[in-house]
Amino acid sequence: MTRRAGARSAAGRRRAWTSGWLVGLALFFCGAVAAATDGGDRPRVAAIDWGQAQTLIALGAPPVAMAQIDAYQDWVGVPPVPDSVRELGLRVQPNMELMSQLDLDLITITPMYASSRARLEAIAPVETIDVYYHEGSAWDNTVESTRRLGALVGRADAAERLVADTRRTVETAAERVPAEAPRLLVVQFIDARHVRVYGEGSLLDDVMTRMGLDNAWTGSTTFWGFALVSLERLAEVDDARMAVLDPMPVGVAEEIDGSVLWNHLPAVRQGPVLDLPAVWSFGGLPSAARFARALADALSAPQVAGTPDS
Amino acid sequence: MPRPALTPGRLCGLFAVVLAVLAVLTLRESAPAGLAALWAPGESLSGILARHVWLPRLAASLLGGAGLALAGVLMQQTLRNPLAAPTTLGVVSGVHLFLLLGTLFAPALMLHARGVVGFVGGAAAMGLVFLLAWRRSLAPTVVVLAGLVVNLYLGSLAVVLLLFNQEALRGMMIWGAGSLAQNNWGGVGYLLPRLLIGGVAAAALARALALLDLDDTNARNLGVSLAWLRAASLGVAVFTSTAVVVELGVIGFIGLAAPSIVRLAGARRLLARLVWAPVLGALLLAVTDQLLQLWTADGAALIPTGATTAALGAPLLLWLIPRLNMHREAPTAVAGAPAPRRSATGGLLLGLLAAMAAMVVVALLVGQGVHGWNWPFELPWAETGAWRGARVLAAGAAGVMLAVAGTIVQRVSANPMASPEVLGISAGTAIGVLGLVLVWPTAGTPAMLGAGVVGALLTLALLVALNARSGFEPERVLLTGISVLFLFDAISKIVLAGSDPRTQQLLAWMSGTTYYVDLSLALTVSVLAALLLLVVRPLVVWLDLLPLGAPTARALGVNVTWSRLILLLVMAVLTAGATLVVGPLSFVGLLAPHMARLLGLARAREQFVGAALLGGLLMIAADWLGRMLLFPNEIPAGLVATLVGGSYFMWRLRRL
Repeated sequence: MTRRAGARSAAGRRRAWTSGWLVGLALFFCGAVAAATDGGDRPRVAAIDWGQAQTLIALGAPPVAMAQIDAYQDWVGVPPVPDSVRELGLRVQPNMELMSQLDLDLITITPMYASSRARLEAIAPVETIDVYYHEGSAWDNTVESTRRLGALVGRADAAERLVADTRRTVETAAERVPAEAPRLLVVQFIDARHVRVYGEGSLLDDVMTRMGLDNAWTGSTTFWGFALVSLERLAEVDDARMAVLDPMPVGVAEEIDGSVLWNHLPAVRQGPVLDLPAVWSFGGLPSAARFARALADALSAPQVAGTPDS
Repeated sequence: MPRPALTPGRLCGLFAVVLAVLAVLTLRESAPAGLAALWAPGESLSGILARHVWLPRLAASLLGGAGLALAGVLMQQTLRNPLAAPTTLGVVSGVHLFLLLGTLFAPALMLHARGVVGFVGGAAAMGLVFLLAWRRSLAPTVVVLAGLVVNLYLGSLAVVLLLFNQEALRGMMIWGAGSLAQNNWGGVGYLLPRLLIGGVAAAALARALALLDLDDTNARNLGVSLAWLRAASLGVAVFTSTAVVVELGVIGFIGLAAPSIVRLAGARRLLARLVWAPVLGALLLAVTDQLLQLWTADGAALIPTGATTAALGAPLLLWLIPRLNMHREAPTAVAGAPAPRRSATGGLLLGLLAAMAAMVVVALLVGQGVHGWNWPFELPWAETGAWRGARVLAAGAAGVMLAVAGTIVQRVSANPMASPEVLGISAGTAIGVLGLVLVWPTAGTPAMLGAGVVGALLTLALLVALNARSGFEPERVLLTGISVLFLFDAISKIVLAGSDPRTQQLLAWMSGTTYYVDLSLALTVSVLAALLLLVVRPLVVWLDLLPLGAPTARALGVNVTWSRLILLLVMAVLTAGATLVVGPLSFVGLLAPHMARLLGLARAREQFVGAALLGGLLMIAADWLGRMLLFPNEIPAGLVATLVGGSYFMWRLRRL
């Protein structure tokens, strides 16, 4: 990061009028980015959606710039963002002026950014890549979007490898799952009284299906494959184990421990709750792989079979 | 006038029967055993669902409704204003902001002292309102004006936090929409003692408060210290409403509506309202909550009760408005507000023009980029000024339009609280756009523009339909607007709580950003602004005469109904144009006319020009600051305008 900070202060303040120097610096900067990520004439891409940025990083072709890098590290996590990637600001409002100065070859967006598309096209060619707005399962669409991203950045082979690797990861994870694996309720706490529960249409649900696991949430879901429900709705679900995705909001763990309802939910009484790490449920294949691995780890952990009420 | 058959008792009885039926239905829904579940053995799931989920939720909704209605009665009586409520006086915003800050920066504190944090926030917001209005002995209109300002100000800070921490604060969005789901008795245990204290205190104050039905002089002659009485009464109101809000989340409308409804139903005396309003408030909230439980029993999206009461309440409020008996307020002196009157204004206006021009130059030429701050013309125009130009133009045009709209509406209504935001025109525009985006997620700018105009015109039609008979009596027009504002607020909260990934984009637009403006939109808006200014010019004479009051204006040869209607129409189009650019939450329409008047521009023509220049200046400066402060992140211009302008406004208000 020192490279970026240094460039900003030196160029911005003292030598600002010597634009030749600046061009040199810019070339150096681009060179540094390119060198750090090995591809010679790979297109310079800005990816606004986290799932797409994540996929590009996993393909070994990290974007030149993406949005909300700090929050990405907290909520998406894998793979980490290389230092060379520039911050574009909020995902909902990536800084256009900044993008226009980055000499981009391509901007990838989702249909959510349709209203900005015309102006983005003034900066660089724009590709809309979509998982949730058209027909097909989240898994199939994610695979397809991975291939498309790979083709766009000249890494079709890497995309095939990522697809194959993810398939293998999911299969390996499936093999580690004990034979008598329970049905699962995969939830993420919004506050102490409400959860997101993942069901049909979500990437997580597709991964569970591929692992041969039953999703216990058969209720209706939104466009993105989750339902936002208050805790007592989970009481409807019998014969399932509870799996909780991190991060837990502040104070929720404590409040839940003392909740009569939570402790009497069938899915909680069935056995200890499975703790899963943060998985970006609207992410790409790396998120899917992370979820599969985490699920297998949790289900095959030794204490799961034994002590209830730990 | 209410039919004599309708008494508060009968109304509440009716609601109680409805509630009983609904409660049995929801119990059967949530615990299969139905009523028997209440006595089911302790460990059975059915028993737990009945006793630890269904029953506490019912109790919490009853308590919450009662507490808010009690607070509403106290506030309305104290301020002699049918619009006073915990939401309109800034209390709720204070709680909201402090809970957000606590969640982000002091999670440990939130763990152990959530209630205290919230109470401090609510009390601080109310205290700020007191402080601003203290010099005027907490005169009702000044308090409500200060409350409105504080509300907008704190609300903007909260939106900034939500915008930048959407994932971390998702739970707070549900709280902000008021979901009443409970899974233990903790909430009821928290509320009950606090509401009892509030109720006892209200009973103790009731006799003295009843004297406020007289005007100030008469009440004072009876030996009542008005300032302290008002402070004590508002203090109790803040205490009870804060307790409810902290525990249950933001619940709209009950505090405003329950007192009004019981008054319409015949509870004229304060004591009767103090008894019946909490009963009705409790039943209203509980019935709404039970209905929602039945409705969303199998749904995937959460529909929070607090926002729904507000959404259901808005139409009810609209229905009530023509029936509401507006007693003329005693202290209308504030409307003409004491402000310095300057004789030579030419120099001042030139100064404002120069300031605006200077700001335009700065906003176009100075900025940060890929290598930090860059000098003017250091980078190619296409990579800097081309982007900035559209935004500066649009921000300036929007600021001018809002300022002119604000001048018009403040003069027409002779009411310093009035602004296009308050009249609901911005909100109507926003509802139109919101609806479009939800139905057609990938809609482009032209479609959004169309939907916004339709929304604004529908709101205007509503304003006209409901107010034509009363000759556009200013208070009624304002009340209509505030209902629409409520509706918009409720709808947007329901959408935000739905946890839909699209919501962040809506949140950004609603907080007033020029981000989505392109050059063609900027030009369209500017041309629109210029045309409308030409239209307003000949109407300025009305703006000098209408504030003198309808009889005087009529005597001077003005057709009051028509002139008001025409001015409202112009104002609506001005507002719609501006809202499409900077969203519905800007402060400029309220602020710029005030600043112009405080600078000594007292006559309509001077105020009109001065406000337009100030509006443009403020919006361009806000837009630029918003783009620079957290680069490359952008803070929406509407929010910055609210924060910058609001600070100045509060400072001036205190010295009013």
